[in-house]
Amino acid sequence: MTEGQSAKEWEPKIVAIVCNWCTYAGADLAGISRIQYPPNVRIVRVPCTGRINPFYILKALQEGADGVLVSGCHPGECHYLTGNLAARRKFAALKSFLSYIGVEGDRTLFTWVSASEGDRFAQVVRGVTEAVRKLGPAKKLVKKLPVAQPA
Amino acid sequence: MSGGTATVENPVEKKLREEAKRLLADKKVDVIVGYEAGTLPLTATPCFITAPEEADKLVWNPCCTQNLAKFVHDLLSQHHEAQKRVKPEAKRKKTVGVVARGCTTRSLIIHLQEKQYGRDEVVILGVPCGGYVDNRKLAALAGGEEIREGAIDGSEVVVKTAKGNRKAPLGELLADCCLTCRFNEPVLADVETGKGTPVAAADKEYEPVGAFENLPAEERWAYFEREMAKCIRCTACRNVCPSCYCRICFADQSQPRWVDIGENASDTQLFQLMRMYHMVGRCVDCGSCTAVCPMGVDLRKFLKKLDKDARDLFGHRAGVSLEEPAPLGTYKETDKEEFIFNPGGGGH
Repeated sequence: MTEGQSAKEWEPKIVAIVCNWCTYAGADLAGISRIQYPPNVRIVRVPCTGRINPFYILKALQEGADGVLVSGCHPGECHYLTGNLAARRKFAALKSFLSYIGVEGDRTLFTWVSASEGDRFAQVVRGVTEAVRKLGPAKKLVKKLPVAQPA
Repeated sequence: MSGGTATVENPVEKKLREEAKRLLADKKVDVIVGYEAGTLPLTATPCFITAPEEADKLVWNPCCTQNLAKFVHDLLSQHHEAQKRVKPEAKRKKTVGVVARGCTTRSLIIHLQEKQYGRDEVVILGVPCGGYVDNRKLAALAGGEEIREGAIDGSEVVVKTAKGNRKAPLGELLADCCLTCRFNEPVLADVETGKGTPVAAADKEYEPVGAFENLPAEERWAYFEREMAKCIRCTACRNVCPSCYCRICFADQSQPRWVDIGENASDTQLFQLMRMYHMVGRCVDCGSCTAVCPMGVDLRKFLKKLDKDARDLFGHRAGVSLEEPAPLGTYKETDKEEFIFNPGGGGH
């Protein structure tokens, strides 16, 4: 929670929901290869991006995440053959709908990172962290907004 | 029934009653879901008819509001459930007849696409539809007074209140969804009762969505927040929606509890957001949810966007073809993916 932190100290809190077979392995590779990336992501591992209920993303935003990153295998490389293709449709609709109601587009980001792309994983995390940092703390759909600190 | 609409010559209604009588007498259907005159003037209410002599109760007029596909699903799913506990030799098929306008047939097609029941379990009595009267616009016409009597005379609506008579053209009282409807004829029908309804201004269908999209994000959020703040989470919209048929709705689930009970605004926002998201390519814009909403939440503004997205992103229109699967139940390798985050470009 960002409670009790001044804006200066604020660090984006990002939930990354990643698939077991590609992006999680990619993150692992990034770690093994000692590639530096910002520590702002909290990784949640799921079997496949197709398994992600869009509610996970909304719940993360509601419970205090400043951004949500979803990443899976590249299209055509899904461990379960087509899970990521089904997911792509769900996310396309979700992202479009969220921006329609006025939630910033960069709060929810979707990408593909394969098991061999440790450097790309680090690059994605850097990109997401910067994008969310630019937006500032999340204020929409959030359950408990940080309490303003008395001066 | 003393209320309802004064009947002018209504050939569709006459044909509808005849066909309903015939279907029931021939035992082609077990029950017919239709509309009967409501107990208040200028209203109609869903009814269930099981005997041929009751068929004369059926009405068809611009006061018939609700999408009846909901009841078809309810009746058939309850029947399927009950049949599970019956010995094989005692199993029985149930056939439901339904009075269906364009949007109702689209909802039925969605049920059939989603394999909720068989095509042989439903008999569709198609009716042409020129739109229905919006209850809020009607109340505005009456100036908030109680409507004592009412009649639809051709293209004019007359209401009688304690403060005198008022009238308005029918076109001004139609629900918003009817004004830009392109499905004035049933998409699928076993029995036809009439044809040749004037088509509404369907080319203006997405104009409100386009206008909303062009507003600044903060204004859109403010509008969403304001509309959702009205919602009391009575779930009437869900209960009336033919596409909402989950046995346990996420809103009622307790493990996990997706939507907390309580008055936090974000929970209401999430409930509505998620219920609406379930309607991607499944909303037929029948307007039932907005018609039943006691708080007048502008759900259509958001649902219409999902309809537009289903068309723009996946080339899909809800409930127009029996063969096409629901858009989120399928995929194409060539689906658009401009939204994919790709820092530094290149990639794979």
